[in-house]
Amino acid sequence: MIEVKNLQYTYPGSRKPALQGLDFSVERGEVFGFLGPSGAGKSTAQKILYKVLKDFQGSVLVEGKDLQLWGQSYFTRIGVGFELPNHYLKLTGRENMQLFASFYSGVTLKNIEELFAMVQLEDAIDKTVETYSKGMKMRLNFIRAVQHDPEILFFDEPTAGLDPVNANNIRTLIQDLQKSGKTIFITTHSMHTADELCDRVSFIVNGKLAATDTPEKLKSQYGKDAVHVLLQNGSERDFKLEDLGANEQFISFLKEGEVKKIHTLEASLEEVFIRVTGETLRA
Amino acid sequence: MKLKHLNGIVNLALTDFKLIFRDPSLRSFLLLPIILFVFVLWLLPMWVDQYDFLVPYLPVFLIVAVVENTQMFCFISSMVLIDEKETQVTKVYGVLPLTAPQYILSRLLIPFLFTVLLNVVLIALQPFYPISWWENLLIAVLAGMVVPVYVLAMNSYVSNRMQGMIYVKAFNMLVLLPIAAFFVPQGWKGVFAILPTHWLFQSIDAVVDGSDPALIFSIGFSFMIFLTAYFARLFMSRHFV
Repeated sequence: MIEVKNLQYTYPGSRKPALQGLDFSVERGEVFGFLGPSGAGKSTAQKILYKVLKDFQGSVLVEGKDLQLWGQSYFTRIGVGFELPNHYLKLTGRENMQLFASFYSGVTLKNIEELFAMVQLEDAIDKTVETYSKGMKMRLNFIRAVQHDPEILFFDEPTAGLDPVNANNIRTLIQDLQKSGKTIFITTHSMHTADELCDRVSFIVNGKLAATDTPEKLKSQYGKDAVHVLLQNGSERDFKLEDLGANEQFISFLKEGEVKKIHTLEASLEEVFIRVTGETLRA
Repeated sequence: MKLKHLNGIVNLALTDFKLIFRDPSLRSFLLLPIILFVFVLWLLPMWVDQYDFLVPYLPVFLIVAVVENTQMFCFISSMVLIDEKETQVTKVYGVLPLTAPQYILSRLLIPFLFTVLLNVVLIALQPFYPISWWENLLIAVLAGMVVPVYVLAMNSYVSNRMQGMIYVKAFNMLVLLPIAAFFVPQGWKGVFAILPTHWLFQSIDAVVDGSDPALIFSIGFSFMIFLTAYFARLFMSRHFV
């Protein structure tokens, strides 16, 4: 769906390149994520893909066609969920949606009331956006990005600044979009969001990709396929996951005392990120 | 241009009016032409009847009235777009099936036409000079062209409302500065030629004076077209990022 080779970009007036030769691809129906700290180049790469930044070097193919050759029809095929709320505050939620919907042609627009209901904003549909909380505005961002039923969706930090309930709602909605066949490219510095949503992630630091794989593979590659058992009496041991149920040493250890803790030794995505890149994910 | 695109552009233009009417500070600026009309059609004739020394300054009064009429939409449209930038709504326009020229057209066509209309009416109704309809129209269109130049230039440099208020003062000063050409020795007039409104002011002066305004209009229109194209290009490269 998206094929990127040797993507480079330097902002006008800057000497330091923001992107230094990225290579990656996003398959149709995949949720692909860029995981990296602020300033790593995640949003720059996305802005190139949604054609806001133009003077890049390298090759970007979308559906087999050079990105530079796509005309205005490209924007009916993509939807963008921005990192921060961006709406006309003096207009109502409905007026905002109707205004932006009016620019699309040749697509079937989703029903506005249903979209508001989908993100539990139906009671706020006719209120001016200046009365919305940040979480409500972010949900409005989300439904604006999907209202023209685009094939490819870009979400920049889709759960940033949201409370846990709203963040979870947005994650569920993104998963629903994937189930309906959409290709989704997210950027995030949230390990949890990347881990839960992405089929594959790329670690990006200082404009370079450090690793690309499924979260599971990355975690198992840098962790141990084992469980750690801690007993109330203070004894602790690690056991390989392979044939754990038939491991007599494991079973007899469990019988030595009451279990205080038992957990796998799989690395978290954040730990993998730090080990691979030497950087932290904090913004 | 597809009908649907036209629909979007018209919607956007109408939305601007919604935004203006829902913002008390911008709404109040819509009263400016009424104040100007009262001044030009009622107060000024009364004063001129009473105080003869005002008569030589009538062209200057007319010029100021035209330019103030023009500055209403310069200010309002600039603030609408600055507000849009401050709230990052501009980023949304960068990912819509709408070209940058279509965007500019939708935001500035109606303010331009309104400014032209207001000035046509003002010039037609002013009681001081007989001005032919085509000279009236040329002055009004030239004045209307200040709007896109002003708004595009302002929004190429300004990123928030606070900064905008400072730039508005500077821009308003630049717009009005060529008035000084009427108060300096003839040889110094040319200094103001680098300011686009100088040619608007000189064209009004030539028309009321009965001189041939063709050359001044030609330079004025050429200058405005060049500046509109230059700032439109600058605006497009900066506004949606």
